[in-house]
Amino acid sequence: MHWLRNKWTLRALGIACALLIWEALGRTVGEALLAGPLLVIPELVELVADGEMPRELAGSLRQMLLGYALACCVGMPVGVAMGRSRIFDAILRPWVNMLVVTSVASLVPLLIVMVGTGFGFRVLVVFIASVFYIVLTAYQGTRGIDPRWVGVGRSFNASRLRTFWRILLPASYPFLITGARIGLVQAIRGMVVAELYVLVGIGGLVNTAGLYISTANLLALMVTLMAVGVTANEALRYVGRRVAPWHEERYANGA
Amino acid sequence: MAAKLEVRGLTKRFEQGTGSTVPVFAELSFEVANLEFLAILGPSGCGKSTLLRIIDGLVPADAGAVFLDAKEVTGNGHAHGMGFVFQSFDLFPWLTVRGNVEFGMQMLNLDRPECRARGSHYIELVGLSGFEEAYPYELSGGMQQRVGIARALAIHPEVLLMDEPFGSLDVQTRDLLQDELLRIWQQEKKTVIFVTHSIEEALYLGDRILVLSPRPSQIDRVIDVPFGRPRADDIKTSPEFLEARREIWALLKHSARI
Repeated sequence: MHWLRNKWTLRALGIACALLIWEALGRTVGEALLAGPLLVIPELVELVADGEMPRELAGSLRQMLLGYALACCVGMPVGVAMGRSRIFDAILRPWVNMLVVTSVASLVPLLIVMVGTGFGFRVLVVFIASVFYIVLTAYQGTRGIDPRWVGVGRSFNASRLRTFWRILLPASYPFLITGARIGLVQAIRGMVVAELYVLVGIGGLVNTAGLYISTANLLALMVTLMAVGVTANEALRYVGRRVAPWHEERYANGA
Repeated sequence: MAAKLEVRGLTKRFEQGTGSTVPVFAELSFEVANLEFLAILGPSGCGKSTLLRIIDGLVPADAGAVFLDAKEVTGNGHAHGMGFVFQSFDLFPWLTVRGNVEFGMQMLNLDRPECRARGSHYIELVGLSGFEEAYPYELSGGMQQRVGIARALAIHPEVLLMDEPFGSLDVQTRDLLQDELLRIWQQEKKTVIFVTHSIEEALYLGDRILVLSPRPSQIDRVIDVPFGRPRADDIKTSPEFLEARREIWALLKHSARI
C-alpha cells in the first residue's frame, strides 16, 4: 500500500471523501438547505459561462486589490518602524492591537455614514480589514531579527542607513511576505463584507443568491470565492519563495 | 619587534541584576607583535569573547585602551576595521557566498571591479571556488566558516580576530580547518588573535599562548610555543607537544571551578 504514502494521492482521497459526504448530506437535507456537489458544479459552470459573475468578480477584485495595495504600502513601513523604533512602538501598538481584534463588519455602518457607499467606501473597508494584520506581522518579524547580524554589520562598519537597507530589510522579507499573505486573505473577506452591505459586485450576487429556493447558486459563489482566496495565497507563497528562497530552506532544515 | 597591537590596562565589568557589577577582567595588558599568531586560551566564561569584541570596537571598555600601530583606537565610537571571524559564522542567509565575502568591502565603498576581483581571490584562497553563487544554507558548517574567514580577510584588515571560529564544528572538520588556517596565514601574512578553549588548538596554531584565569580574568601565564613552521599535524602526537599540553592542562585544572 505504498501508494498511500504519496502526498498527492492522500490529498485527492481527502477531497473525494469530503465531496462524497457533502453529496450524501445534500441528498438527506435537500437542495433548499444544502445543495450537493452534483448540483453546485453545473451551476458554477453556468455562472462562469453566463458572464455576469466573472464580470462582477473582476470589478470586486479591482477594488479589493487597490485597497490591499494601499494597505501594503502603509502597513509594511509602519510595521517595520514599530519593530525597530521604541517611539513608534509605544505610540502605535495600542491602536494596532485594538483595531486588529475589531471586526470590520462592525465598523461598516460608521464608515457608510462617513464616506458613503461608493468606490472609496469599498476600498476603505478592504484597507482596514487587511492593514493591521500586515502591520503586526511586519512588526513581530522585524523585532525578532537576529541581533548577531546587526553585530556583523557593526564589525564591518556599516552605517545606520546601510544596516537598515542591507541587513534589517532583507532579514524582514520573509515576514513582510507572510504579512502580505495574511493581509490578502483578510482583504478578500473585507471585500465581501463591504459588498454585502451595499449590494454590489460578488457580495451583491451572494446576497441575491441567498433569496433563491435552491442553495446551488449560493454555494457555487462560495466555491468561487474559496478558489480566489486559495489562488491568491498560493501566488504570494510563490513570490515569497522567489524573494527569500533562503528562509523556507532554513526553516525546513530546522536551523 | 614593534607591537602591532597593544592592550593596556583593559577592564570590563558586567551589570548583574540589581545595579551591582561583576568584573569580567581587570587591568589586562599585553602586546601582539606584527604578523604574530597569538592564541588566547581560557575557561568558558572568562571573558575571552568580550575581550575580542572590545579590541574590535564592538563593545566599550570600562577602563584601559587598545593601540593599533601605537595609535589609540578605543572609544572612537566605531569598529576598528579589524577582520572578525565569529564563532557561529554569522553569515547573512540572504546573500550568496560571493555576496557575503563582498559585504565588508562594499561597506568600505570599494568599487565593483575591485570587490569582484578581491572576492574571487579570497573565495579561491579558502577553497570555495565553484560555490560563489551558493547560499549559506546549502553549505556545511566548515564551508560556512571558510566563507567567514574569506569575508574577514577581504577587507585587508590590520589584525584578524578569531572568536573560537572552529568551536561549533565537529572534530574532523576542526582539524582540517586548522591546517587550512595555517596555510592561509602562511600565504596572507596577518597578525592574528585567536581565542579558543582548546589547549591542543592553541598549541598547534599559536606562536604564543596567553593563558587566562577564570573570572575576574587575569593573564595567568604567557607561553612561547616551541614548534617551528610550517607545522603539520604529526606534531600533535610528538612528545614535546604532549608534554606542553599536559603542563597547560595542569595550569588550567588548578584554576578550574566546576
